[in-house]
Amino acid sequence: MKVLNNIIKVLILAVAAICSVRGYANEGVVEAQSEWQRALDAYSAKSYTEAKEAFEKVETMGYATADLYYNLGNTYFKLGQQHERAYEGGELGRAILNYRRALKCDPAMEDARYNLDIAQDFTNDAEPLPVGVVSSMWSGLRGFMSSNGWVSVSIISLVVALSLVMLYLLSDKIVIRKSAFFVAIALIFVFILTTALSVAQRTAYESSSEAVIICNNIISVHASPDNTSKVIRQPSQGVSVYIIRTHGDWTEIEFVDGEKGWIPSKSVERV
Amino acid sequence: MKRIFIFRLTLLFVALFTSVQLWAQVTFKAEAPLLVGLNERFQVKFSVNKEPDSDNSLECPSFEGFSVIAGPGIATGMDIQWINGHQTSNYSRTYTFVLMPQAAGKFTIGSASITVDGKTYKTKQIPIEVIDENAASQQVGSSVSDAKSSSQKSKEPAKAAEQAVASNDIFLMFNVSKKEVYKGEAIRITLMLYTRVGPPADINSFSMPKFNDFWAQEMPTRNDHSRAEYKGRIYETYKLTEYVIVPQRTGAITISPAELSAVLRLETQSDDRNIYYGRQERYVTRTLHSAPVTINVKEFPANAPSTFNGAVGSFSMTSKAPEAAMSANSSNEISVTISGSGNLKFVTAPKLTLPDSFEVYDTKVVDNVRTSAAGTSGSITYTYPFVARTAGEYRVEPMVFSYFDLASQQYKSLSTEPFVITVTDDGVVSTGGADSSRPYADYGGRMKQLDRDIRFIHTDKLAADGSLLFVLSPIYWLTIVVIVALFIVTYHIMRKRIRQNRNVVARRMRQADKVAVQRLRLAERSMHEGNRHAFYEEMLRAMWGYISDKFNIPVSNLTKETIREELYRRGVSASDAEQFCQIISRSDEAQYAPSTESDMGEVYADAIAVISKIESIVKR
Repeated sequence: MKVLNNIIKVLILAVAAICSVRGYANEGVVEAQSEWQRALDAYSAKSYTEAKEAFEKVETMGYATADLYYNLGNTYFKLGQQHERAYEGGELGRAILNYRRALKCDPAMEDARYNLDIAQDFTNDAEPLPVGVVSSMWSGLRGFMSSNGWVSVSIISLVVALSLVMLYLLSDKIVIRKSAFFVAIALIFVFILTTALSVAQRTAYESSSEAVIICNNIISVHASPDNTSKVIRQPSQGVSVYIIRTHGDWTEIEFVDGEKGWIPSKSVERV
Repeated sequence: MKRIFIFRLTLLFVALFTSVQLWAQVTFKAEAPLLVGLNERFQVKFSVNKEPDSDNSLECPSFEGFSVIAGPGIATGMDIQWINGHQTSNYSRTYTFVLMPQAAGKFTIGSASITVDGKTYKTKQIPIEVIDENAASQQVGSSVSDAKSSSQKSKEPAKAAEQAVASNDIFLMFNVSKKEVYKGEAIRITLMLYTRVGPPADINSFSMPKFNDFWAQEMPTRNDHSRAEYKGRIYETYKLTEYVIVPQRTGAITISPAELSAVLRLETQSDDRNIYYGRQERYVTRTLHSAPVTINVKEFPANAPSTFNGAVGSFSMTSKAPEAAMSANSSNEISVTISGSGNLKFVTAPKLTLPDSFEVYDTKVVDNVRTSAAGTSGSITYTYPFVARTAGEYRVEPMVFSYFDLASQQYKSLSTEPFVITVTDDGVVSTGGADSSRPYADYGGRMKQLDRDIRFIHTDKLAADGSLLFVLSPIYWLTIVVIVALFIVTYHIMRKRIRQNRNVVARRMRQADKVAVQRLRLAERSMHEGNRHAFYEEMLRAMWGYISDKFNIPVSNLTKETIREELYRRGVSASDAEQFCQIISRSDEAQYAPSTESDMGEVYADAIAVISKIESIVKR
């Protein structure tokens, strides 16, 4: 009985700790919600400039959610359509950047993938290099859920596995004991796999070199970090690249087909 | 016969009546220049087209502000024409007064009246402006009279006459109704000849400018002749030609000058020698150029509606709704009429958007547009024929026509009413080809993807920050620890049961007496039935099985010796162990040997007693 009391105490402490972490942001929550609502209304009323400002304000308040990036992407896309000469203000690139960010937060967001596909129709992306079967399977499986999604699966499977172990220990019916034992073993494997996927997603999220080209229309990619070097490519805004390194005001990028080049750092933004 | 007569009589009367009517149209007109110089004599004419009752019936106005120098001079004219055997006659009687202004200013010549056939007719009043040319043009340069006086002294009259015509005595000028216009706005441009040396005797060549960047239409011009003041001098003006032009681009557009090569007849006062020809006429050829005219065509204001297509002016729109009910595959039409004034010729048909299952054919355009000096006006009717393919109720969006209103300098949009068309199934099932009984058969029964656009924003409430990653975070570790701790605690609480459950053996041991009791009960039943063989068999099974279950020893490994040892090891007394073995021995023997009923009961009772004893000892 004493042990049980201790457990309850620990649990209460844990809940209190989580609540206090949430609580410090509480004052900003109301403001962010109203700003969010203002942005949604402005978007519905087709005043995209106002919607953009409001969404970006929500973002600066620390709400890096998939929905926010998705909506911001939509706002930029619509702004680009309104532009006198369509998308020539760099809105297309920003729309793609924000869709990519939404997908980074929630890789399973189907709407963002659809809109990204539409937006990329306007870019001159390179043909991606073929990827090995195993790595594409792994990244495909990984991309099925976000890091937080995977970790919740892993925790649930851990809880269920341990409950089944308990059932195995307590039950005196052979059938229940056998099935509980094997399912528990399977769930332990699931726990290990999903934990690994979650950690992998987190690593990918944090150390991503994915970036998007942001410019007015097209930009010249140089062979070396100076303006006089040869122009090797002219990607449009919104083209997906990887950042390799920076040198002064220049950034070395790698296209999805493996070609590398240098562009001014301000023309590329990390996803 | 009688009928025909009456008909003829009627005809006769009609003819008579009309001829009388024609005859009776008496006009009495006054004629005078509207603009005269201060020292200029001019004529005022009153003319009537039917013989007046008497000349005395003419009542002249007072001619206030003018001196009557002569008049009335009376002239009568008669003009009879036969054309194709048809006779027309024009009579006129004209009373002419010669007047001279007394002062500069604006005057009015009042109405004159005359009596014809007992009726009195009146002329209209004529406003006359008198200007003092000398006062205004002393600095301007030579006047005709100066030229004349100088030519009198010249020995070469022809040359003198030529010199006498100064450039400001005769010139061409464009009169433009507007110089600041919007693209599409009509401008009236008139080429005028200004002259102080009389009309040209002949015109050698005349070239109008090419109106590049304009749409131009020439207006019919009567040979309009009047007088006008220009820079303080009075000119005879002749309207040479008139155009309505519509600019087709924006910016400053210059109209190149018109050119006129005219022969002028000049009268010169001759020398005294030539007594017979007191007046000499000289002909002088002059090439005249108009000054170039620049028209500034302005851009439209920026806030043009999307339906604006360059229409400028003032318009109204009416529409004829389509028949509200129609059957599928029958035709129907919507027509829209745009009327008003402006650049109607450049108006494009308003766009009609019909639902997808409608087939729209080419728009028919009927225009009734007149171009007059005031611009283009009239109406254009657009008819949109269409055929509905599938039954249903459809809403036709209003058609919008936008134009730039010149009066208010604003864009205006006109729109039709939205129409609702109910299409009923025509009931015809066509054989072969597209099956009209199946709607949308054209697309193979599949929906057509019309367009693609990004999906709408997500309007859920703002979620918490999605960039906080849970895995490997402190809370994650805490959660794992809590789960494992819960497991351990539960294990701790349940450890007794778990130990009991640890393996199958323990469980079997626990159940050994139950199994034995069950078997003993079977044996008891056999005893009551008197089945000796079955009784002893069950007894043996119960005894062996009990030991086997209890001490986890397979039955095949059991002997009386091992049972005795095992029982002894578990703390059972030697006598009890011996009794247990004895029961087995007795049962073995009794199974095949004849025995009494009481034997069975004795063995049964002993077995229960000994098992109970062992149970009570081995339990713990």
